[in-house]
Amino acid sequence: MNINLPINVLYVDDEEHNLYSFKANFRKHYNIYTTTDTTEALDIVDKKNISIVLADQRMPIMTGVEFLEIIRNKHPEKIRILITGHTDIGAAIDAINRGEVFRFIDKPWDADYVKNAITTGFEIFRTREDLKKKNLDLQKANEELDHFIYSASHDLRAPLMSILGIVNLSEEEKEVEVLKQYFTLIQQSVLRLDSFVINIIDYYRNTRNTSEFKEPIDFKKMTAEVLATMRYLPNFDKIILNSYIKQDEIFLSDPIKVRIILNNLLSNAIKFQDHSKADFNINIQIEVLNKCCTLIIEDNGIGIAKNQLKNIFKMFYRGGLVNGSGVGLYIVEEAVQKLNGEVSVESIEKVGTKFTISLPGKN
Amino acid sequence: MDQQFNFLLVDDSTLDLFINEKMLKVNQMASSIRKFLDPRECLQFIQSENTEESFIILLDLQMPIMNGFGFVEAYQDLELNIKKKYHIYMLSSTVDTGDIYKAKSMEGIIDILSKPLDPKMLKKLLVEAKFV
Repeated sequence: MNINLPINVLYVDDEEHNLYSFKANFRKHYNIYTTTDTTEALDIVDKKNISIVLADQRMPIMTGVEFLEIIRNKHPEKIRILITGHTDIGAAIDAINRGEVFRFIDKPWDADYVKNAITTGFEIFRTREDLKKKNLDLQKANEELDHFIYSASHDLRAPLMSILGIVNLSEEEKEVEVLKQYFTLIQQSVLRLDSFVINIIDYYRNTRNTSEFKEPIDFKKMTAEVLATMRYLPNFDKIILNSYIKQDEIFLSDPIKVRIILNNLLSNAIKFQDHSKADFNINIQIEVLNKCCTLIIEDNGIGIAKNQLKNIFKMFYRGGLVNGSGVGLYIVEEAVQKLNGEVSVESIEKVGTKFTISLPGKN
Repeated sequence: MDQQFNFLLVDDSTLDLFINEKMLKVNQMASSIRKFLDPRECLQFIQSENTEESFIILLDLQMPIMNGFGFVEAYQDLELNIKKKYHIYMLSSTVDTGDIYKAKSMEGIIDILSKPLDPKMLKKLLVEAKFV
């Protein structure tokens, strides 16, 4: 059991001295809310994160069973316990059938019995909540998968159909120069398809690789390696690259994830240049200090519109007219989260974009 | 010579625009071709165009910012005397049955063709439809 998590318990009884003695007995073990008023009790259940509700059976306005029946309808997940001094079989049957109570406690109650009821009840409550959360996660994963298959089939098929289109055209073509041009176009399409496949592999590695893998990262070396893979990207030669990398200490982290982050942010900075500008600038600023890495990638490219900023980390979201898979930034955010880091972005349309990432080093 | 048409090509891929333009030219199907990378620009063109000529629109489905369905929805809000000049065919690489069904049943879309553009197929459809 998770002892750090406080168990919030509500006890409703019209006799105040019962509430006092309940509080006196259990306040060390649980967060206790008490009231003599069932209306107030419903309010507390609505507002506080109550997991266990105890009610006395004999109360003037409504009986404990009636009260627990309301709780059952409004908050079926709460664990309900009925306390009664006058055991009659009718109340017991009602408590089970109408209130679906978890336990039935006799007055005067035995402290250990109550404690046991609350603790066991909370275990059940927590297990159900966990299950609910897991179901939600599973639902999200399923939706993501549907979305993934839909978009992936497009992103895989579109460049293939383009290639087929060019092949169809070349059947009628006799000019060698034109045919050569067709080959260049096929090459572009193949590269686009390949970059998508690489993205998907990154995504897969990123999601499946949950191990605490770590090794020292040399940011100068890694940045140079990443940039070397990008030198064939269009316009790479025209880019003015300023890089400032300051690392005087060892930084331990998962190199696959750090590389995914650098790779995607840099290739975006290269891809989303503003062709109306005379210079294409990219600033790389990496600083490792006190086992913490701050990584800034800034460009003077086309920027991101304000209303699109909130969407850029969504899977398959493509902001502009530039061809991309819409997977890159999604993977970046996932990788940053898995490294317990933070990512933020500032961007002004037509001015440029700045990504700031902070990563804690592993021990 | 076969009948020729005015074409508006809408696609977020410059490559596909190039392929489709070339295909129409090689097969002598086009009297004019205009290409749009951004569907919103095509909508602007439609609204400002004021000749009596009619146009065939070949519309891609999956595009960022505004997809093919979004384009048709915006197009449907235009005045009837504008819309009577345009005939929209969707041209997509999609194999999603939901997309294909939606395209076939959506008002404003005549039919959906699969990429790469098959000029013989398009010619046949256009002849059957008897656009003047």
